[in-house]
Amino acid sequence: MGGQVSKLMGKIFGTKEMRILMLGLDAAGKTTILYKLKLTNQEVTTIPTVGFNVESVTYKNVKFNVWDVGGQDKIRPLWRHYYSGTQGLIFVVDSSDTARMEEARSELHKIINDREMKDALLLVFANKQDIQGHMSPEDVTNALQLNKLKDKLWYVAPSVATEGTGIFEGLAWLSNNVKTPAQK
Amino acid sequence: MSLTLPHRPSDDAARSLPTSSSSKSNGIPRLSPSPSFVHNRSVSNSGLSVRGYEPNLAAPPAFRPRKCKSQYPRDSSERHVEYILVASFHIDRGPIMEHQYPAPISGDESMLAELMLPDQTHVRSQDWTIFFLHKDSSADQDDDDSVGAKKKKKKSKASHGGDGTGGSDEDQDESGKEEESSDDEDEGGEGPPLMYVLNLVNTKQDHTVKRGAVVKAMAICTRHSFLHIYKPLLLLALEDYFKNPYLETLASLYNALNAMDLSLLPKLSLLERQILQASNCKDMFIEKFEQMIRQRIESEGESSDSDSPASPRKPAAKYTLPRDTHEFESKIVYNDIPIPVKVPTVIWPEVVGDFSLIKLIQTFSGPHSTSPQPFPIHPHLTTSGPYTHPIIILVNAMLTQKRVVFLGHNRPSGEVAEAVLAACALASGGILRGFTRHAFPYTDLTKIDDLLKVPGFIAGVTNPTFANHPEWWDVLCDLPTGRIKISSHVEPAPITEGLLYFQQQAALNHLHASNLNSDPTGDNLFMEDVQRSITNRHGENAIRAKWRAYILKFARVASAFEETVYGASNLYIIGPNEELSPESPSGVQADPLDPTTLRGHGHVWPDEISKQRELMASVSRIEGWRTTRSYYSFIQDIAAIYYPTRPIIKPDLHHHHERLRTLKLSPPEAGAIYIAFSYAVKDYAGICQLLTVTPENQAGLFYLSMGLFHPDQTVREATVDLLERISKHPAGQHFWNQLNRFAKLAFFRVKRERDASQSPISGPEMGFGAPQSLVGVAMGDGLR
Repeated sequence: MGGQVSKLMGKIFGTKEMRILMLGLDAAGKTTILYKLKLTNQEVTTIPTVGFNVESVTYKNVKFNVWDVGGQDKIRPLWRHYYSGTQGLIFVVDSSDTARMEEARSELHKIINDREMKDALLLVFANKQDIQGHMSPEDVTNALQLNKLKDKLWYVAPSVATEGTGIFEGLAWLSNNVKTPAQK
Repeated sequence: MSLTLPHRPSDDAARSLPTSSSSKSNGIPRLSPSPSFVHNRSVSNSGLSVRGYEPNLAAPPAFRPRKCKSQYPRDSSERHVEYILVASFHIDRGPIMEHQYPAPISGDESMLAELMLPDQTHVRSQDWTIFFLHKDSSADQDDDDSVGAKKKKKKSKASHGGDGTGGSDEDQDESGKEEESSDDEDEGGEGPPLMYVLNLVNTKQDHTVKRGAVVKAMAICTRHSFLHIYKPLLLLALEDYFKNPYLETLASLYNALNAMDLSLLPKLSLLERQILQASNCKDMFIEKFEQMIRQRIESEGESSDSDSPASPRKPAAKYTLPRDTHEFESKIVYNDIPIPVKVPTVIWPEVVGDFSLIKLIQTFSGPHSTSPQPFPIHPHLTTSGPYTHPIIILVNAMLTQKRVVFLGHNRPSGEVAEAVLAACALASGGILRGFTRHAFPYTDLTKIDDLLKVPGFIAGVTNPTFANHPEWWDVLCDLPTGRIKISSHVEPAPITEGLLYFQQQAALNHLHASNLNSDPTGDNLFMEDVQRSITNRHGENAIRAKWRAYILKFARVASAFEETVYGASNLYIIGPNEELSPESPSGVQADPLDPTTLRGHGHVWPDEISKQRELMASVSRIEGWRTTRSYYSFIQDIAAIYYPTRPIIKPDLHHHHERLRTLKLSPPEAGAIYIAFSYAVKDYAGICQLLTVTPENQAGLFYLSMGLFHPDQTVREATVDLLERISKHPAGQHFWNQLNRFAKLAFFRVKRERDASQSPISGPEMGFGAPQSLVGVAMGDGLR
């Protein structure tokens, strides 16, 4: 991450705030991503999230308020309560968990079809790219049927959350594409 | 649940027996309903004033101890704890229930498991939570049935009440029985009692398990509001459960908890409870504890040798008196470890768990005092303008049944629960009800849809997403920042009859609330006083007493408001000889021959203008309150506790004592009060009632003792009689002891003068058969 991006962003954006909601199936790596963002260059070990985590991460003059919500199927119906005011959705997928890719697709489409999420940017982390037998970002794109989406800005970023690879590239995409200023 | 409230045979016969162990004879706790209860209520509700009910005249002069009943009899089938639950966070399935003992608790298991594993429990190793269960499922059917059966029995008993053999003993018992019926009323009015749940959740990092942690929670379900005493037990038991995750661990905790012995904790009447609560005296009502022990020793003597009541007594050494009668010390033996516990003697409605009003008040006072922020105006809430104190906003919100949310992001769920419980106690003051029943000390997003169906809830949450949904609440209390927010979605206050009335009045009299007084409600002054007390470390009890007085005053102002606007109030039962008309001012004696027929009732204002000003300032919140649950249950309560709390129905002791306290009365006016009190207050219950209006923190007997300096000798001597009776009263003696030396010297001087002049004041007519000072009687008789 060089000074170029930083300069560019500093020109285009002042300091702004962006509310981000991070969802995904259980054990996809959401909490690890959150704390890699928050605590750069530190080893992160996580345990299952009971309920949610929320952290503010300032990156390149943008303050991201990132909500990370637990992914067990029983608590997924609660996701909708976090939609209102969300400007960006980060959907985390375990690229090695091919068996549950269809489940992930179905959940994702449920979310982005919600009226409250229609203006939100969509960033998909194709996570766990370090694990044997993982799907490529293109395969993930197809499996999630992102090409079917109309009127939606989306981007798939490959990542290895435990090493921090790819995460900040994803954030940079979000901050470059955010249109409306934050509500709060 | 069918075990909880079994058949209770009538024990009228047993009651007329002398103090033998009647509870032993039939093996059933003596919780008989009151024969007079149903009748009383219908009378008071119908608006008729009072039938001839003057037990105090027949009552004996001495405070003969009657049999003390236990609050928690040994042979009661009501268990201390009803269920033990264990839940865990399953990494694939989320919260699940693991074990339940002794039987599965009815209702939604997964909902319970979610409550037991609060949000963000993974970021802390330990978290306490409290939540309430409204048991309304099939198991409750039994509960309801047995309550119904109790009511039925009550009626059948009422038909053959009054066997008349007990004499004075019966009368003494009367208050106790009505007491119980008012307890029944507590549940009767609002459905079965709540089930309180104390929950402990532990998160243990464990690298041997999938995803590195084990999260387990254990909960105790009880009907006791003092559930916090079980905390050490829950700590030990959950630790055990991590080692032995079997049902047996739950069973041993359950058995240990239910083996706790509270049977020596005496049951107090409502008046006695009020006195004890308002007092800091550590041996108030100690005699009742002594008596419980004496009764126990007697009954043990009998049981060891049941044929001969004169069998040798066992030594009393194993029973000890409490160091402070406000709490009862017992122990719970768990895994052979005795754990001391303290159970509060007095349990007020709406007071659940251990919380700190001081903490709540400080949390929201600090930011307000350093950098006050204006609130958007809402008539129910901002009763002192945009800079109304946040705590007053909170209380107003609760009184007018708004939706209140306590949010503690990144705080343990126990902390938000504590704030919710404190808020309930704040708004209730132990007087109003209906808050805890609609409180959700800890809840989360999973219950949001159900929560929103509850009108006027009080909820504690840790999830900051609640702040983003102002449509979910009316008032949001943010614990970390100490700020209170009024929602942009709050419903506007409707225009009401009372409001229009006062607007007209204001127009007529050219009064305007704003230009008369900067603090017409007195709330700013009150909050300053409360904060001063906190700074001076007067302690939690003192603060609770202040709030109790504040809520009591609110109710009394509301009553005056209703009389002003509507001509009559639901909140006051008019006594005999009392009229609701402006032509009947306070202090007029209705019957010239009966000094107790002193007119006047309700709250006392120094003058009519200050009354109008305060009423006008309070119009909105009173009108807001008049449509709420707490208002309606208060009306019920007034009817239900009228007789138990008012052995003296004329004159209005509270009103006239307040006149002594707050007004500058002329000597004849004050004299009439002293004489009326001396005539009316004779027996045990009557003195109790008087003591409830002279609490320690409001100068105790000081204003009564001023009668000793009255210019009229009759008044001085009547005051001596009254004070002498109080000083011989088991509770009154403590008040007497706290009276200043100056007053005591005057007491003995007046008494000496009277004795010397050898003229006992108006002896026969004065006493209604009850003696005045024994010295006076003896001398009068001897010298005539």
